Amino acid sequence: MKKIKAINLAMPVSAIILGVIASMLLIALTGVSPLSVLETLLKDGFGLSGKVAPLFMTLGTSTPLMLTGLAAMLGFKVGVFSIAQEGQYVMGAIIAAWLGASLNLPSPIAVPMIMILSMAVAALYGLIPALLKVKLGVNEIISSIMMNNIAAYVLEYLVAFPMRADAGQKAQSAVINRDYWLYQFVYGSRWGISFVIAVVLLIVAYFVIFKTGKGYKVRMVGQNINFASYGGIRSDKVIITTLTTGAAIAGLAGCMEVLGNYHRIMTGFSSGLGFDGLSVAMLGMSHPAGVFIVSILLAGIRQGAQLGLQISLSVPRELGAVLIALVILFVAVSDVYRPALERLLSRKERKNRRKEG
Amino acid sequence: MNAITFENISKYYPSTEVQASDNVSFSIRKGEIHAICGENGAGKSTLMNILFGLERMDSGRILINEEEVTLRNASDALAHGIGMVHQHFKLVPSFTVAESILLGTEEKPFISKKSEVEAVRELSEKYSLPIDPSALIDTLPVGMLQRVEILKMLIRNVEILILDEPTAVLTPNEVGPFLDTLRNLKERGKTIIFISHKLQEVLDASDRITVMRKGKFIGTKESKETNIYELADMMVGRKVLLSVDKKPSVPGETILSVENINVTSSSGLKILDNVSFSVRRGEIYGIAGVSGNGQEALIKAIAGEVQVRSGVIRISGKEVQNLSVEQKRKAGMAYVPEDRVHVGLNVEASLLDNSLLGYEDEKCFKKGMFLDEKKLRERAEKMISDYQIYGSSVDGLVSKLSGGNMQKVVLAREFEHVPDLLIVEQPVRGLDVGSIEFVHKAIIEERDKGTAVLLVSVELDEILSLSDRVGVMYSGSLAGELSGDEINETNIALLMVGKKGGVE
Ligand SMILES: Nc1ncnc2c1ncn2[C@@H]1O[C@H](COP(=O)(O)OP(=O)(O)OP(=O)(O)O)[C@@H](O)[C@H]1O
Ligand SMILES: [Mg+2]
Repeated sequence: MKKIKAINLAMPVSAIILGVIASMLLIALTGVSPLSVLETLLKDGFGLSGKVAPLFMTLGTSTPLMLTGLAAMLGFKVGVFSIAQEGQYVMGAIIAAWLGASLNLPSPIAVPMIMILSMAVAALYGLIPALLKVKLGVNEIISSIMMNNIAAYVLEYLVAFPMRADAGQKAQSAVINRDYWLYQFVYGSRWGISFVIAVVLLIVAYFVIFKTGKGYKVRMVGQNINFASYGGIRSDKVIITTLTTGAAIAGLAGCMEVLGNYHRIMTGFSSGLGFDGLSVAMLGMSHPAGVFIVSILLAGIRQGAQLGLQISLSVPRELGAVLIALVILFVAVSDVYRPALERLLSRKERKNRRKEG
Repeated sequence: MNAITFENISKYYPSTEVQASDNVSFSIRKGEIHAICGENGAGKSTLMNILFGLERMDSGRILINEEEVTLRNASDALAHGIGMVHQHFKLVPSFTVAESILLGTEEKPFISKKSEVEAVRELSEKYSLPIDPSALIDTLPVGMLQRVEILKMLIRNVEILILDEPTAVLTPNEVGPFLDTLRNLKERGKTIIFISHKLQEVLDASDRITVMRKGKFIGTKESKETNIYELADMMVGRKVLLSVDKKPSVPGETILSVENINVTSSSGLKILDNVSFSVRRGEIYGIAGVSGNGQEALIKAIAGEVQVRSGVIRISGKEVQNLSVEQKRKAGMAYVPEDRVHVGLNVEASLLDNSLLGYEDEKCFKKGMFLDEKKLRERAEKMISDYQIYGSSVDGLVSKLSGGNMQKVVLAREFEHVPDLLIVEQPVRGLDVGSIEFVHKAIIEERDKGTAVLLVSVELDEILSLSDRVGVMYSGSLAGELSGDEINETNIALLMVGKKGGVE
């Protein structure tokens, strides 16, 4: 049992280390010192100095990642490779931007209401591919791609015409009511109440998935649907509820990005955050704690690359993306080196055993 | 001359803390059929996987034709003329027979379809293993798939062929021809190693038999000079009862009643034709028959969710034919399915998770909103000790258990809520003699507690030794029902081929 756990932890860690090493080699090729790059990445991704500490900004940008990561993770847990988070995220954001600009209620009523409605709409949006999959056997990847495209075009249309705030250059909606802006711990950092909500949701998810009967059903359906059905678990129902819950969470991510960060919605709002959720869930080994750590790591690397590398070392910030891509690549090819890793771990264990007895 | 010599082979699995191979030494002669027997988890597959390069040994030497070799992977083994057919076939469903057999042997990237088919036909004639080279894999029955796997090895010119439990997947009437195939291969000079739990067939087919127990080599016997009893005792390390003791049944009220049920396949074919029978408290009702005569559909209708076209199924008086599995279980049904690896268990999950299925909503296992982990753990621990489940802890993965121990996990869970109706399907497939004894005893104990037991088995021996009454399925309907003295091999065998006159 201990070894099983050890290998689960060793996989993402070694993928990250290998990814960093490979990136450093790449950097060395360009003639910049890899060590200084590493140092800048750490300082500008996770440091505490500066007007707004980079770490706070990282925590801020990690928030939507945690939520879309959690949404993707729920899909994985129930055995569905759902990539629909992107569209659900956009749907949540649209509702938040629309209500945020048009509601005229005191904020203690309006803000929860906006959140709930955003989640509800995103959940309905997620229900479509879920039903298509369960009832008609439509491949979830294909339907998700279509749903994502539809959401993206709906957004482009809305911000270009009905919701457009001014005739300016950029197609964007009006700024939402100032009272509805979510509180930020450090102004300008994006790190605020939404982070707390995301963390709470991760914790709740952990307990529901691993400690309740409902979560048990989700895990069993995901791991072996024949087994689940044989034991009387209604797998169709479980898949549908899990996927719609995930959709609601992805929608909440979009909603809180609007309320807490952008305060409006604009063309190109969906910058792939939904897809990042997939990487987060995969690298995080489909575990809430993993999702938490990986979200912060990814956000930090991006932050460091954008802030530090580009500005102080004039290394293109795409390096951050390259680094992340390399890490994902090493996870994807982990089957190649997993046996070696397992052997290493078991050798260590055998040594320990010998010492003991 | 020895084809293979194992010298002091040891292998320890740290994850399960099992010494799967413990200083094993013995040899296999060139051109013999050598059977390997042993309880579930004795280390037979592990040793064979080492020989085929799939597992690394910790220490020891392997000699092939008296020369030491290093086997790092399957291609090393193939290069030394060793081939292996696994218990679970690894074939691509959409390939043809010819493609499957030739996969990986192509020297040129593009071989014409014609020459592929020719090559396979030639091979199959050479070894008299007839097969249609252009048939699609997913249309073939298990016996044919096995033939494909064997041909796949033969085309690679292997001299030594390892077969891991080849007969476990075959129906009783496929076994005879299969053993002929082995003899035939032997005549052509091949060396055969095969693993089996069926001692009679081992005695019939092999030249020598090696017995393993708990990772250790126990002994090698000439098949002519030994018998079932000696082998069983060597395997288990104590006297084994090869037939079960059971008191006459004391049947009570009717628990399961099946009345005139009909089931049609999606293409309109009649699968079940007006089947009626009932099972009472305290009796074991055996369903016999050659596999594929509707047993599967019958069990699906009773224990699963299948549209019954007409007819009524009752459990303790309650109509259940249109109910969900959950509701049927609530009505008092427990079910030990045929396929424990894919259905009865979630092998990628822990023993704890596997013990919980069907109980996850029970109030008594909850503490507030949460599952009462402490209670569930204690319950799983108790299952491990009550059923002598060997090879894993509560948190260990079920996939690491041997077949017999896997089956014990299923039994422990299904027996726990003292069901009114217990359905058991091929309960001892792939199990060793010791485990068979255990499982059979457990089923009889359930009966004696007052459970109505419905047993489905294609093994005549099992039906004969367990059943109080027997129904024989033939082409979708019940060909006849036997009880008391009528239950004997001749009567069942006649009904199995549809001869109604079998019973007077
Ligand atoms: N990959 C593995 N990791 C850890 N333990 C294993 C692994 N494979 C097998 N074992 C353990 O090693 C022991 C021997 O297993 P093996 O599969 O060789 O038994 P077997 O004799 O083939 O049994 P069966 O008749 O059930 O097939 C068992 O206790 C099993 O739990
Ligand atoms: Mg085995």
